[in-house]
Amino acid sequence: MENQLIQETMENPFAQEPKASSTWYWQAFTGVALLLLLGLHFIANHFIATGGIRDFADVVSYLRNPIILVLEVLFLVVVATHAMLGVRAIVLDFGISDHAEKRLSQVLTLIGILTVAYGLWLTWAIIH
Amino acid sequence: MATHEHHKVRRAGRWFDVRGRKLGMWAFALNRIAAIGLVVYLYLHLVVLSTLSRGPGSWDAFVSLARQPYFLLLDVILLAGILIHGLNGLRVTLMGFDVGVKKQKALFSAFMLVAVVALSAAALKIFGG
Repeated sequence: MENQLIQETMENPFAQEPKASSTWYWQAFTGVALLLLLGLHFIANHFIATGGIRDFADVVSYLRNPIILVLEVLFLVVVATHAMLGVRAIVLDFGISDHAEKRLSQVLTLIGILTVAYGLWLTWAIIH
Repeated sequence: MATHEHHKVRRAGRWFDVRGRKLGMWAFALNRIAAIGLVVYLYLHLVVLSTLSRGPGSWDAFVSLARQPYFLLLDVILLAGILIHGLNGLRVTLMGFDVGVKKQKALFSAFMLVAVVALSAAALKIFGG
């Protein structure tokens, strides 16, 4: 139902037979979460920071704050999830087969996991 | 086979072509173009952040570069993408939950106005220091 609604409201000429999709809810949920997390990330790192960007010492002390660390890691997970779901939605518009859709989901899941893993490693390396 | 694939690409690429289309198609195209730009930026951002792992010398050299006016212009473009995609995405989410469906065009215009105002304020802040 929600896909049909989106098709009408956004005039998506590519959406095929409407079907209930949990990925749509995840896309919406992570999108709303991003409005808050990205807002915080942008304000803390570019509007509050002197000169619009933190120097190295400032980045390290910023990330050593446990509350900030949790928020930044959450931001990383949410943004990677939202991005992979978005790429999946765009590729699906090409009308790929069920098998290709399954393979695409696997590849994007792997890329998302690697992205988060890289971000976590980088955060750990910066703090230490 | 090649013709079939070519047709698929043409079909999926139609959303780039907004000539003669209604506001909804403009919203759809804007949302997707901004989305693709933001995914590319996400990975560029992660590459840039990797310089942090090389210590203060590498990062602080990048900071000097990032404070140049032409680099700040890229920040404004990034912020434009975030505002367009974020507010448009919020509108789509509201539609998906049956909120404001009949006012979706007005909602799109209002959100884009908010984006312009917020972007102008942010640009003043970014260039004003």
